[in-house]
Amino acid sequence: MSANMRRRIGWITIATASALALTACAPTASDEQPSTDGEVGGEIRMLVNITDNLTQDKWEALVAPFEEETGVKVKIEGPTGQSVAESFPTLLAAGTAPDVIQSVFPTTDTAPEILDLTDFDWAAETPMADTYATDGKINVVGVGMQAQSVLYYNKDLFAAAGITETPKTWDEFDAALEALAASGVKTPIAFAGDWATGVQTQQIWHPQQNVTTPHWQSAVADGDSSLSEQFEPLFEHLSDWIDAGYTTADDVATDSGTHEANFIAGNVGIYPMGSWFSTTLAGTPPEFEVGVFSPPVDDATAYPGPMGATMASPYMIWKGSKNLSSAAALVEYLVTDEDAIATAATMDDFSRPGLDVSTNEYAGLVQQLIDDAPSLAVPGNQTVGDDALPVAGFNPKFTELAQTLWQGTSAADVAANLDAWFEAERTE
Amino acid sequence: MTNDTVTGIARTAGRRGFSPARGRVPARRRPISARLLDGALTLPALAIYIVLMVVPVGYAVYYSFTTYNGIPSQSPTWVGLDNYRRIFEDPANEMHSSVMVTATIAIVGSLLVNAIALGLALLLQRKSRFNSFGRAVMFYPHVLSALIVGFLWQALLGPQGAINALMETMMGSRLPFLSDPTWALWTLIGVIVWAQFGVQLVLYIAGLQAVSVDLLEAARIDGASRFQVFRHVTWPALASTVTVTIITSVLSLLKAYDVVLGLTNGGPGGATQTWAYEILAVSFPNNKVGLASAQAVLLIIAAGILSFSIIAMRRKAESGSEAVG
Repeated sequence: MSANMRRRIGWITIATASALALTACAPTASDEQPSTDGEVGGEIRMLVNITDNLTQDKWEALVAPFEEETGVKVKIEGPTGQSVAESFPTLLAAGTAPDVIQSVFPTTDTAPEILDLTDFDWAAETPMADTYATDGKINVVGVGMQAQSVLYYNKDLFAAAGITETPKTWDEFDAALEALAASGVKTPIAFAGDWATGVQTQQIWHPQQNVTTPHWQSAVADGDSSLSEQFEPLFEHLSDWIDAGYTTADDVATDSGTHEANFIAGNVGIYPMGSWFSTTLAGTPPEFEVGVFSPPVDDATAYPGPMGATMASPYMIWKGSKNLSSAAALVEYLVTDEDAIATAATMDDFSRPGLDVSTNEYAGLVQQLIDDAPSLAVPGNQTVGDDALPVAGFNPKFTELAQTLWQGTSAADVAANLDAWFEAERTE
Repeated sequence: MTNDTVTGIARTAGRRGFSPARGRVPARRRPISARLLDGALTLPALAIYIVLMVVPVGYAVYYSFTTYNGIPSQSPTWVGLDNYRRIFEDPANEMHSSVMVTATIAIVGSLLVNAIALGLALLLQRKSRFNSFGRAVMFYPHVLSALIVGFLWQALLGPQGAINALMETMMGSRLPFLSDPTWALWTLIGVIVWAQFGVQLVLYIAGLQAVSVDLLEAARIDGASRFQVFRHVTWPALASTVTVTIITSVLSLLKAYDVVLGLTNGGPGGATQTWAYEILAVSFPNNKVGLASAQAVLLIIAAGILSFSIIAMRRKAESGSEAVG
């Protein structure tokens, strides 16, 4: 073999080895941080929801006291996809899951990858921990409870329309919408696009649905009820409002941020949204007086119905974390430290026994609704606990199908499509 | 040069293996080790290609026959053709509509992209300062991220966007660009075309510069009109460029996802959900890696069939272009 040929073979070998090394050396979670298990220290990654309220700076400010006290470096990461719900499974599949995950709940698929927190004394004391427990095991904890079934309304527009009392029944609600439209309100009730359509339409239905069928998710899962039976009456109400022009197709093609701005500008009569909207209102107080009321029910004697409620700012720990001690310490700090809870409450409204809401008048109004509610009910998108639907992706599908009501699809057809989807997913 | 000299050169060339009759030099057979070494030069690129392309595609094909949630610690379960059956039976009536949306975008979009790009290329083919500026402006949309393009046009065309606000001020009415299913689909196609045609424009300009000036001149001297020159000289000469632009645009449009995400997010009511959106925004987030893989495999097969069909259909046109070129 000539010297030239030997040289070429050498170069080819080096180039091939380099290429293979380059393609095989993607960093993994274990590469990125030293294992400090057993002692609190090092660096941990936390995947969080980033929104207008929950900014990167606010998250960093929230964990700063913990970092200072423990020496742990907390790396805040936003979702790589549309949302944390979309990003977390992807990161899990890639082997680069963060140590702490905020804003989502375990699913049937992800639950085995989540650390069991049952043995931590502080976990059982956190709000709604038992509601979200799976087979008695706690694997997600939160800072409080967020009310879902809240109808924010413009008191000036109500007064101008001659509405003296907030509606308690569906008939009264229809009459209120009619009065608002007759008085010239362009948007008597605002339903927004994207995720909001599904969330808002469910929010307005939680009390009635849970009066009719308490623990309806279990009834659907057991075959005692169906999604069409549960939601067709809601779809009929929505269809009537669409036909009457109280809400239009343009509404569900407009994002929730724009609708919130419309409400604050005084162009919307009623805006269904969770308690977190009170933070937006406090940040940009409208010139009119805002009121809140619970969604209607069939029978006035059953008013107010159960309040739709979710765990606020849920946190989970990835079981595969190389720094479980620090991850657990961080989550404990976030859900039990009074200052951390108070800071979190300024970022996104929630309620918790002992939490001072006097600084936000709108949060105070929502708190009153929660206090008046006979019970709390979990919404349809819950994926763990006793009241969970046995399918993934309920909210996005519900949103997609609900939006077709604004495109002229009948309530019966939308309900049938929801059943067809449920059956298809269930047999997956 | 005399005849003797020419004969002498020919004789010398013949001794060296050059045959004037055959008109080519046969390759001297190199030792097998040298040829193996030449082949080995492709090894680094081949290694990267196999690791980054062949292996993942192989895994995707395998996963398409399983039910798998994508979590490494949990094993896939073999289910045979169940995922494919689910796609073809479509019990929830969601996948077939995605196929129709994707097909509409790919067919209509590629026709529009190529028609607009070719038309503008014909206008901008001559070199001038204005044309250089024009080319840069036309190419600019392609530089933007498709996601940004989606958000940008959503801000312009949304119910409360700039264009509708202007229309309401001037005419007292709005258009349902994004709120009506049919309008939303055509708006999406329009935005995709706007974002895509820059690349095809560059390809057409390059193709036009390769058209024989002599042929164009001869056609004009023979009294051909502008349309006749285009029809009988320019168009046949562009055949291979047209094949490339059609294939690249169709393949690109088959994968439409990020513009959809930014502009309509698949709405209203799922009316603009493409096949890629179904894979990336529906199946994957719901941990249905097996189903998503089956959908991806079908997309690859569809892209392959379309590409080869276009190549086969264009072969005749390209053989004609060789005669012109």
